[in-house]
Order: sequence, then structure tokens, then C-alpha cells
Amino acid sequence: MTVKVEVIEGGIPHQKIMIAGLVSTLVCLYLTYLNVVTNTEMFAFFGGLAVVTALVWGSHTIKVLCSYGIGTGVPSAGMIAFGSGVIAMLLATKFGSAAPIVALVLAAVIGFILGYISNNILNMKIPAMVQALTEMAVVGALSLMGFAALITGGFTFADLTAGEVSMFGITMGSTENSFIGGGLIAAAFLLGAIAIQHPFNATLGPGWKQDRMLMLTAECGFLSMIGAAIMSFAFISMGAAMLSLIVAIIGWAYTYNQYICLSKRDAASWLDAKPIPEMEGH
Amino acid sequence: MSAVAAKPQAGGAMNPTAMGVGVVMLLIILALCWYVSPGAGLMALVGVIIGGVLIGFGTHFVPVGGAPAAMGQAPGIATGVAMLAAGAGLAGLFGGAWAAEQGLLVATITGGVGGGLMMAITCMMVNFVYVFGMGIPSASGKVAKDPITGDTQAEFKSQGTEGHGLPFVSFVGGVVGGFLGGAGGTIIYLELLTLYEATLPLVMKMRPAEVMPIAVTAAGMFAVGLFLVNAVLTAYNITGTIEGPHDPKFKRWPRAIVASAVASALCGFVAILIVAL
Repeated sequence: MTVKVEVIEGGIPHQKIMIAGLVSTLVCLYLTYLNVVTNTEMFAFFGGLAVVTALVWGSHTIKVLCSYGIGTGVPSAGMIAFGSGVIAMLLATKFGSAAPIVALVLAAVIGFILGYISNNILNMKIPAMVQALTEMAVVGALSLMGFAALITGGFTFADLTAGEVSMFGITMGSTENSFIGGGLIAAAFLLGAIAIQHPFNATLGPGWKQDRMLMLTAECGFLSMIGAAIMSFAFISMGAAMLSLIVAIIGWAYTYNQYICLSKRDAASWLDAKPIPEMEGH
Repeated sequence: MSAVAAKPQAGGAMNPTAMGVGVVMLLIILALCWYVSPGAGLMALVGVIIGGVLIGFGTHFVPVGGAPAAMGQAPGIATGVAMLAAGAGLAGLFGGAWAAEQGLLVATITGGVGGGLMMAITCMMVNFVYVFGMGIPSASGKVAKDPITGDTQAEFKSQGTEGHGLPFVSFVGGVVGGFLGGAGGTIIYLELLTLYEATLPLVMKMRPAEVMPIAVTAAGMFAVGLFLVNAVLTAYNITGTIEGPHDPKFKRWPRAIVASAVASALCGFVAILIVAL
């Protein structure tokens, strides 16, 4: 978590969250490239951290967009983010080590045109629309790339389509057991799409607090990371996958606790309802 | 919504300049595609655009009620456009993908039937819940008479609501919308699958049987992505809720056609670049 989540009068401005999210996501994505440099797979967990930072930025973008009352529900924003993001991400993986930068540029172009379409052709006339859809496509593309790096240890097309199958002790290459060929990209897609749209959907209302929503996003991100880290056992070495899983579980436990604390802080009152007691002879 | 800064002003009005810009963008993307991949790529892109437009147009038929419908204060299915369109479209897409080997026509119709069936089941169960669970009759607030059956609506409509339940015309609209959406999603999938099957073995330097899983998943993911983009753009066009083909908002469909065509062309072009570059 590189985005500072704490109470400031009026909250952190969106511009700051955007820049912090973008920079930390790209840095985390490139840290997974250390796998290639050092010829290990231990740095795959940085992909998961890239997902979390991108999601934190994305959920705040959704807040900016959806506070205009677009009338279509918050989940639709998450869906268009990942719908346009997956398209940019798949093409960007073809560009080798430049993939994150290409994904950023390509997703920004797609998002900008989609924003123009919604604002002008569909006559939405919402001031934040173009910027929000641009940001959201970038978030979608970068978080999918983060999932790819977390699960396979790399983000190039060759990494994502290479898999191996072992039969009678002989290891053979098989595209069926790869990130794309095995359909894991679909699971990553929904893990991200749900994590990005849930936080604002769950915390919106008159009692909305920025730090609570961002903490919930981080919690959702780490929860998705746990799922993706389990998938990564199929692709990267046991130690590397275990490291990802431990990072994800620690991150999730911490953010979950923090989120509960923030919820108690913002609640009018709360009651620690114990599990249903066993009533003997009742 | 927390801070309602400004209400969307999206009325029925068209923006001719923006529509013109949209058509020009569409032509530029088609020209770029012709430049990059004149034969198979351009054919695939045209198919993707047709599929995208079918999805965008079909979504207008689906009765989407949103949160007011969940409280029985507006007609339609009580969820958002993106969820309904994605449900119908993906059900259709899976149906069509099973029939992919039987040719474009059979697969497209199968996909359409899959989407229509999913919407028919949804509409029926929704009406079951409305009528027997919540105890409300089906009545439209937008028209005095059901355009298909001719039943009058006003005497069944509760005061202070915009109607409730799913009147017959909304049910039919839902099935038609599901059919168009499912067919559109299947066309996108099939066009991209045909292109990838032909070109991926050369790009990845592998045998055709080896790239098959990649081709299927990539085509499927692009189809899902395109589907969600088109469905959400249509949701923006109707600003959330619509009763069905009889709703005045239905007349906004020309905007959605242009928007879907441009968005599908853009995303489809990117999907084609993956094998053309």
C-alpha cells in the first residue's frame, strides 16, 4: 500500500490519488520484471500489489464519476473499466518489457474515445466523464496485467500463453495450461471487476468517508490477490507462490481489521452480536 | 449517490456534430484496418461492428427497472442494464460457442435463442415474484394500453408509482432484446475465432491444434469485453432504466447505434491488431 489512507479534512484530492496510484502501479509492475533479471519467480507478488494500488485508484475514480448520479448503477462502471481494459491489456502483452507502458497508453486512448462517445454522441454531458472513463480503462488494463504477473510471474504474451503439462514424468509445453489458454484470464477479470465496483457501492451514502472506502478497496484487492495467489501455484515455483499467498493473507488481515475499525468509528453505535448461543432445553 | 453535483442532462436530443465525428471515426478505423489487414481482418472487423450494433440495439428492448423496480415502484426487472445485458449476452455467447462448428448462421441463431431463453426465464420468474411474492399486478406507467394485447393499464397502476411488474409488452421486449444481444455476442466471438484460428499458428509459430485454446479464450475474452462496453454505453444512453420497446426512451436508439458502432470498431480493431502486428 503506497497510497496513504488517512483522514484529512475534505479527504485526499483525486488528482493526488490518481498520480500516486498510477506511479505505484507501474513501479510494482516493473518490479515483477526483476523475475527476468534475477532469473527467479520470487518477485511475482509485486503483481498483486500492483492490482491493489490500481484498484484503490480505480475505486476513487468510480466515486468521482458516480457522484454525478449517472443512473446506471455503480457496477456498470466497474464492468466498462475491465471490459475496455482487457482489450488494451491483451494487445499490450505483445510488446515485451514495454507492455505496462503500452497498456497505459492504449487503454487511455480507448477510454478517451469511449468517454467522448458517452459524453457527446450519447449526450451525457457529465464533466468528469471523459477523464473518468480514461482512468478506468487504464486501471482495468493495469490490474489485469498485475494479475497476469502475479499468477505467471511475467506479463509478456509468451509468458501468458506458455504452460506445461507433465505426463509420465515427461514435461511438455501445452498452451491449454497457460494463463490465457486455460481461461484463468476470465477469473482474473471478474476478481478485479468485482473488487473495483464493490467498495463505492457498499459505502456510498450520506456517511461516505474516503478513507473507509479506500480501505475497503484495499481489502477487496487483497482478497482477490489471495484467490489469484492460489491460482499461481499452477504456474510458478512453490516458494514464490507461497510468498504471494502469505503477502496477500497478511495484507488482507491488516486491511480487514483496519476496515472494521473505521466502520466502528463511523457507525452511530454498534453491537458485537455473538454467534447464536446454544440454549439447552429451550 | 452521495454528492449529487449535477443531474445528467441526457435528454432525447441528438448531437449532430458528435454523430458526424463518430461516423468519421468509424470510417478512419475501417480504413486503418484495411491498411493493416485488408482481407480477413477487415471482414472480421465488419462482423464485430455488426455484432456490437446488435448488442447496443437489443439492449434497448430489455425492461430494466433498477432499484425502483425492486421496491415495486417502477416496471421492469430489478437490476441494472449492465447485469441484465451481460447475463443475456453471455448466456447467448455460451450457447452460440457450442454450435460454433456448425457455421455462422446456425451458431448465431443458437446464440440468439440462448440469450432469448435466458431473458424469457428471467422475465417469467420476476413476474412470479412480483405477482405472488409482492402481491402487485403488472402495469405500465408509460402507455395507456399495452401495444400488443391492448389491455388497459391505468386501473392496475398504484398511485404514486410509475407502474410495476412486467406487462406483456415488456416481457416480449425482454425476449427480443435477449435474442439480439445473444446473436450479437456470438457473431463477435465467431468472427474473432475464425480470424485467430487462421492467423495465430503463423504468429505464434505453433501447430493449429496447439493454438486452439489461446484462440478460443482470446476470442471469448474480447467478446466479453466488447459486450460489456456496448452494454454499458447503451445503459448510459437510456440513463439507467427503460420499460421496453414502448418506452419513449426507446426512440434514442439511433444514438446508441452510432456509439456502439464506433466503440465496437475501436475495440475490434485492437483485437485484430494482436494478430496483424
